[in-house]
Amino acid sequence: MNGLRGRGYAGRILHLHLPKVEKRCEELREEEAGLFLGGKGLGAHILYHNLKPGTDALSEDNILIFATSPLTGTIAPTANRFCIVTKSPLTGTFLDSHCGGSFGVGLKEAGFDALVIGGAAEALSILVIEDGEVDLRDAKWLRGMTTFETEKEVKRALGDGFQVACIGPAGERRAPIAGVFSEMRAAGRGGAGAVMGSKGLKAIVARGSESVGVYDREAFRRAAWIAHRMIRMHEVTARHLPQYGSDNILETINETGALPTRNFQTGIFESASEIAGKEWRKELWVRDTACGRCPISCSKVAVVKDGPYKVEFTDGPDYESIWSLGALCGVREKGAIARANELCDLYGVDTISVGNIVAYAMECFERGLLRKEDFDGLEPRFGSQEAMVALVDRISKGAGVGGLLQNGVKRISEKLSAERGDDTYLTFALHVKGLELPGYDPRAAQGMGLGYATSDRGGCHLRGYTAGQELLGYSGGANPHSTEGKAKLVIDRQNEKAVLDSSGMCFYAFLALTLKEVRMLVDAATGLGYGSSRNLERVGERIYNLTRLFNSREGFTSKDDVLPERLLREPMRTGPARGLVVNLEPMLKEYYRLRGWDEGGVPTQEKLRELGLA
Amino acid sequence: MDLGQEMRLNRIFDPKDGRAVVVAADHGMMLGPISGVQELGKTLEKVIEGKPDAILLSPGQAEDLCHLFMGRRAPSLLVRMDWTNAFRDRTYTLPVREMSFGPIATPRDALRLGAHAAVTYLFIGQEDEGQEAKHLALVSRYTAECARVGLPLIVEPIPFGPRVTKANNSELVAAAVRIAVEAGANALKVPYTGDPESFREVVKAAEGIPILVLGGYRALSRRDLLEVIAETIEVGGSGVVFGRNIVQASDPAGVLWDIRAVVHDGRSVREVVAGDALAKPMRLGVHPERCSGCLICTSVCSFYHEGVHDRNASRLRVEGEWPGPFRLTTCTQCERCVAACPKGALSRSSLGYISWESERCDLCGNCVAACPLRVVVIVDSKVKICDLCQGAPECVEWCSRNALGVI
Repeated sequence: MNGLRGRGYAGRILHLHLPKVEKRCEELREEEAGLFLGGKGLGAHILYHNLKPGTDALSEDNILIFATSPLTGTIAPTANRFCIVTKSPLTGTFLDSHCGGSFGVGLKEAGFDALVIGGAAEALSILVIEDGEVDLRDAKWLRGMTTFETEKEVKRALGDGFQVACIGPAGERRAPIAGVFSEMRAAGRGGAGAVMGSKGLKAIVARGSESVGVYDREAFRRAAWIAHRMIRMHEVTARHLPQYGSDNILETINETGALPTRNFQTGIFESASEIAGKEWRKELWVRDTACGRCPISCSKVAVVKDGPYKVEFTDGPDYESIWSLGALCGVREKGAIARANELCDLYGVDTISVGNIVAYAMECFERGLLRKEDFDGLEPRFGSQEAMVALVDRISKGAGVGGLLQNGVKRISEKLSAERGDDTYLTFALHVKGLELPGYDPRAAQGMGLGYATSDRGGCHLRGYTAGQELLGYSGGANPHSTEGKAKLVIDRQNEKAVLDSSGMCFYAFLALTLKEVRMLVDAATGLGYGSSRNLERVGERIYNLTRLFNSREGFTSKDDVLPERLLREPMRTGPARGLVVNLEPMLKEYYRLRGWDEGGVPTQEKLRELGLA
Repeated sequence: MDLGQEMRLNRIFDPKDGRAVVVAADHGMMLGPISGVQELGKTLEKVIEGKPDAILLSPGQAEDLCHLFMGRRAPSLLVRMDWTNAFRDRTYTLPVREMSFGPIATPRDALRLGAHAAVTYLFIGQEDEGQEAKHLALVSRYTAECARVGLPLIVEPIPFGPRVTKANNSELVAAAVRIAVEAGANALKVPYTGDPESFREVVKAAEGIPILVLGGYRALSRRDLLEVIAETIEVGGSGVVFGRNIVQASDPAGVLWDIRAVVHDGRSVREVVAGDALAKPMRLGVHPERCSGCLICTSVCSFYHEGVHDRNASRLRVEGEWPGPFRLTTCTQCERCVAACPKGALSRSSLGYISWESERCDLCGNCVAACPLRVVVIVDSKVKICDLCQGAPECVEWCSRNALGVI
């Protein structure tokens, strides 16, 4: 019997090379688990050692990994997550994309910690994993179906108890902003859905009768209860998130002048109060929902009964979606935001990328750089809800101008710039390494700037989330306009988040918890004996170095650890951060030094040896 | 320690076990007329039925309510000697902008009121570090004066301020405890650090000076409250000073009886909770409209009974998919399964819950067929029937949305 089975892990990794359905099962070794824990870490480890450098992300040679974590499926609060790791078609970097849907538990119950898919199916298929067995079924009848319908239909066709991960039409046509969906929750960022589409997989379903056991039952119950109790007593996780969802912060972010508005032209949105969480609660939200075993229930179900945008029901929207489809486009009409959010979810694209693309298009139009004819006759001005929804509709369906826009801000701006011989198009393209930016203007929160620049998947807020300290006053606070100490802050947040992303727990749990509680949970579940939070943090550091190695191997250098020109050159126009740009250079230098990386941003041999990576 | 201090401390901490159960009712001075502190006399009459070892009051209330502390069986009196605005959070009409504190009474005043001990805060972690020195100077003055009049001094060291984070909090508690001990505290009133391991370090820092853990929050449930207490006792704590969890409770005496059972009688939390619950017939009640579909109830059900997470082994059921609504089905204790069992393997125990004896069972499945709600299942040759977790249902305890309860 395998050593890790019943200790949080299933103990096995399933390798497939499509179109063949022969499976190869590999034991998850204790040493690997100790070094990389699970989820993101395990996925990064597998990807680094199995993917040939320079592989086209949408070719058969790319590999798509679904990884669960030792806490996934346990009573540890928020322990529901699975993670998709692959090479991103949007950025060409390492990609880890996380989702709170139930597919991860299904995969574990079917007997696997991770699923590694190479090759591609010959025609659109459903991959069925049941109690250790694998099958490929025809999915042509699902072609073009939305995520919601797909999940429903697949469950109806295959029977009770299957957990589903699927893509929408956007993933089928390999739009690089397409996500993977499970229970209408998205692994949204970076284009995992396009990779799944390129593998010819419309859906992956898993079911099984394996139970998830733990190493020390008593210790685990206690650790889980302590964590649960802390979450239920912390004001953010016990009050703000359950009541107003992740959108509880929107007005505060606006007050700090960090709410990117009209394609990052300013950090204050004059209508912020109209799209704040309390307004959604009052008018559109009809129910709170939660991911598996989560005591927070930050998810909401929105319904729009009347007006031009009727929505039967849509998940959330969450802060990032409300901001990107709202403030970033100058739109303040909740119904329009809800409808755009619904389109993104149903057709299977990332709301953050989509909002950014629309905002970019609006700026092009307002500055006369693109005309009405370029937009199928639409006039996308900032603040036009009609244009916003119409563009989202085209992008999510890849129709008309959507065919161009679905490729993401980086590709759109580069194409326009090259075609028209005008670099202006590049100056307001808000992305890092091709990943569109999230809802915190780093001119008003310098640490976030460093976080975006050094994130392993491009412009992401969840890799070095310093906004908690800089803007929201969490954990003692930090001066948002200063660069002092930000390198250390970003490194700490990145390492912690890598641990969380490998543990199976959600970022929001961490508002109430520290690595100490995660360590107690992980040790009680696995018996891997980390012993201290420092040792667990080491896992995060190791993962961050490994993903850095991956990106270096793919040709990314310190030149790519950069921010869009607007954030480095155009001073913030209004609000508390007025007059500021991001002072990236000194933070980045200090960051490399503290990371133990050379001046080119590459981990030194010494650092790699220290982490057991060399 | 001075003789008078030692004698008075012995009135508070039971000499048999060295522990104490104290009720704090001095909130009005810091927080205004919050519930429970108005008509404090009436509330305290109910509290005293629960036999607390001592009650903490502000000087004014101690004067007004002196009659409650007369008589040989009356609780001891603790008097607060200082005041602070630190606890006025954002929900308060006049939230704190800059933390301040100051003396409002002297040890002699406390002694005159009949106090058996006096209480003062000690804050560390403010933005203005000079405040810490000022506060320590006040505590030291109190120590000296208390020793002179033979009154024990209980210090309440609390990390407070923008520099306190969840990551450094438990270390700061230990540091503040140590400062208080070095300054001469005779006993300590300390916030819980959240988990027993870190609290053990706090106890260590106190080096034998008794530590009472304070409430400071409304616990999730009575069971949660008792678990916190049990955790602190286990690592060397000497009892509790609880306020709102008791004075705002509907039956303060009942809560106190339970706390005393854990602190003084050494009973386990499960025993106490189940004993209470099963004193009258109970069953699970559901509010499906509150359910978020998180499934923690079905997970803890199988984890409590089987020690693993197995969705098929749950004794209750959640149905419905996104976007909801969700349906909850729990055992109603109708006993049709008991009646249907031909072998007498199922019975309602004298303690009030249904139990299953594997030796008598031949797995005929009659119980499964008899259950009108299909919440009786057979998995791995075992009959799974809701036994209300022997009186302390885990599903109720873990549901953060109160979609499950006991009726």
